[in-house]
Amino acid sequence: MIVKSVVLQCGPERAFALFTEHAGLWWPAERRHTRDAASTIRIEAGGRFFERSSDGTEVELGVVRLFDPARRLLLDWYPGTGRTNPTQVEVRFESVAGGTRVTVQHGAGAAGADAFGRNVSGYVRAWDLVLAALATTR
Amino acid sequence: MNALDALGNPIRRQILVELRRTPMPVGALAERFSISRPAVSRHLRVLQDAGLVVLNERGAQNVYAIRVQGFRAVRQFIDSFWDVALSQLEELAKR
Repeated sequence: MIVKSVVLQCGPERAFALFTEHAGLWWPAERRHTRDAASTIRIEAGGRFFERSSDGTEVELGVVRLFDPARRLLLDWYPGTGRTNPTQVEVRFESVAGGTRVTVQHGAGAAGADAFGRNVSGYVRAWDLVLAALATTR
Repeated sequence: MNALDALGNPIRRQILVELRRTPMPVGALAERFSISRPAVSRHLRVLQDAGLVVLNERGAQNVYAIRVQGFRAVRQFIDSFWDVALSQLEELAKR
């Protein structure tokens, strides 16, 4: 499990809006899937989590499991491992002195573990290797 | 191909499971799969390029094995994604 946090100099509502509606502005340019460094990336209340390049090409980046404005997000995350065995990302927004603490937890998650459980055991063990890498103490 | 993308393929994940059990040459590995030996070799090449397996010379045979450092790199890849992402988010909030 990877845990990262940052304090943003704004309120939780704006922090949440920046994270979800304007993901294209913070998403690392070299990690885009459409090869368009200025692509739009959106995390929507309706469940879609996708990237759209300027020529209209869309790539699904995952699924929004929980969209709780100004508080919490839960995402199935496809980049890297694909839609059949997504990793899971939880993002929390907390009001703190001077702004909003945004905490990202990236790991297998409960939903991920369920998905792996439906597959053959060997498949699960392969995923264990990745989890072992993810679990390495920081 | 980076390590995470290399892991996106089910055959390659299965190859890693087999190699984790015991290091082995490509021939022995191919016997455990329904795909051709050249196809297994191609997957091994991808895994090797991604740093997830390593080829060791053992006598006359080349033996493939898991490369643990490669899996640490997977973690670093995700780690650096969020380092960059959150610092950009921090700048964005100041505007």
